[in-house]
Amino acid sequence: MEIKKENPIIKVKDLSYAYDGKIIALKGISFTISKGEVVSILGPNGAGKTTLLKCLLKILKPRGAIYINGKELWRITSKELAKSIGYVPQRHHSIFAYKVIDFVLMGRAPHHNIFSLPSKDEYEKAFKILEILGIKDLADRTIAEVSGGQLQLILIARALIQEAKILLLDEPTAHLDIANELKVLSIVRNLVKKKMVDTAIMALHDPIMATLFSDKIVLMDKGIMVAQGRPEQVLTPENLYKVYGIEFDIIRRGNGIFVVPKDVSKV
Amino acid sequence: MSRSLLIKSLIIFSLPLSIILSTLLGRYPTNPIHVFESILSVLVPGSVGSPPEALHRIIWLYRLPRIIAASLVGMALATSGAALQAMLRNPLVSPHILGVTSGAAFGAAIALAFLPGYVPIELMAMTFALIAFLLVFTIAWGWGKGSIISLVLSGVIVNALFSAALSLAKFLTPDPHRLASITFWLMGDIGQAAKWSDIYRMALIIIPCSIIVVLLRWRLNILSLSDEEARALGVNPTVERSFCAMLCALMTATAVSYAGIIGWVGLLVPHIIRLAVGTDNRHVIPFTVFFGGTYMVLADDLARCLTSEVIPIGILTTLMGAPLFIYLLRKAGRVWR
Repeated sequence: MEIKKENPIIKVKDLSYAYDGKIIALKGISFTISKGEVVSILGPNGAGKTTLLKCLLKILKPRGAIYINGKELWRITSKELAKSIGYVPQRHHSIFAYKVIDFVLMGRAPHHNIFSLPSKDEYEKAFKILEILGIKDLADRTIAEVSGGQLQLILIARALIQEAKILLLDEPTAHLDIANELKVLSIVRNLVKKKMVDTAIMALHDPIMATLFSDKIVLMDKGIMVAQGRPEQVLTPENLYKVYGIEFDIIRRGNGIFVVPKDVSKV
Repeated sequence: MSRSLLIKSLIIFSLPLSIILSTLLGRYPTNPIHVFESILSVLVPGSVGSPPEALHRIIWLYRLPRIIAASLVGMALATSGAALQAMLRNPLVSPHILGVTSGAAFGAAIALAFLPGYVPIELMAMTFALIAFLLVFTIAWGWGKGSIISLVLSGVIVNALFSAALSLAKFLTPDPHRLASITFWLMGDIGQAAKWSDIYRMALIIIPCSIIVVLLRWRLNILSLSDEEARALGVNPTVERSFCAMLCALMTATAVSYAGIIGWVGLLVPHIIRLAVGTDNRHVIPFTVFFGGTYMVLADDLARCLTSEVIPIGILTTLMGAPLFIYLLRKAGRVWR
């Protein structure tokens, strides 16, 4: 896999963030993301992945700089940012069981003012996106009546209807079984390959999934970037040991690499 | 006609229907034809002959003002309840969470216990209701940056504070008759608000606020998401929730200042509507506006007609509400997660 250097759509420069100004969550993070890349922010729990995503979403205000399509993040209004970045949270818990179609339509909020309502065209758009993701039959069910894997796809549908070209996913497969995990991640990858979105950035904690579905990996531990680049460059036994404290074997098969724990009894 | 359309039509027509039917109810026996003549003679002058004078006075001086006041109060409490439940992401929230009810109760108690009779009770109630909300708002913003939990907790704190102050005011009331009138005010009575001049004042606040909340109905769906999700959709949840909370506080303060403490309506009516039309606030809010009015008009009919004395409506809404809520809890799985 070759990384295209042109069209950097996200540039993160020397990013640092500390909760309450004391607890350091990110320190000196820098990387760029180009069009057409699926990027995994990889690291164990507490590595700072979610904090990094929150900085990209302007929910947290870090030190350093973030550029989205060449524009400094803090010069972009929240509404404009929501038209550029679609966000898929790790978990969704709604108190009220909305119908799937109504829930997906909420993704149109950045295109509306406080008093306006979604149009018929937007309804059709929502149905079309559900069809693309293969979940059109869920449209009239409530979100309380769908499985974890289906809910994840519904959240992706809500992000896609934002018409944002950057997809940000926070541990999208954290609560899924292996079959749903593979399904969700391959759908994300296909969205980029089919150019429905310019890039997808996923926070993941599983190196195996990261190698299978990413063009680029940003490896993090305790708020510091350990390595970044193509999966085979980043996922070396040394880097993985540094981050996870476990020895891994790297197996090369075809174009891909597979990461397997060396000795489970020593974990 | 589909089932859903039928239910929606029923909800909308229930309000004018309950208003019309309620004009026929009361201790003074009335001929329906004379009642309609009386109403039409004012609405479309010259369209019908003149109705009996006594009945005309009863309809226009007693029954209609009371019914219209009840529908306005019901509308205000139910609409506030629906909006607050959505934006605070809590199905157990009622308008009283904003602190305005206990503020109004304290204000009314001060007026009734210590002030001369010419000081309007509703003015004191309204003033303290708004002071209470201002306190809730200041604590929520100053301490919790306007988050949901800070808004709810500051509501609880301010409610406790004004409840204690109310008890103190009652304890210090010098005259037992005045103490009795405080107790009666606290039970809620639509009769207190049943004057056309009061109705105009209430309508001037409740109707515009209700219309704005109806216009915000889709936005309330977004505000019912987590802060993180709302922000990622380009919405500033703290600012928009505060705006909505102000509208709800104004409506609730107006309703309780004129009619006293009326429980359960703001909690219950939105849930009945969710069971009937689903959870989408685009439907919940407008239908709650109508059904809130209907529910209160019917409750007030019972208050007027059950016994020879008018039963305080706060007692009836609670008596009706509690068993209904137990029934709703059994069905709640469809609308809550």
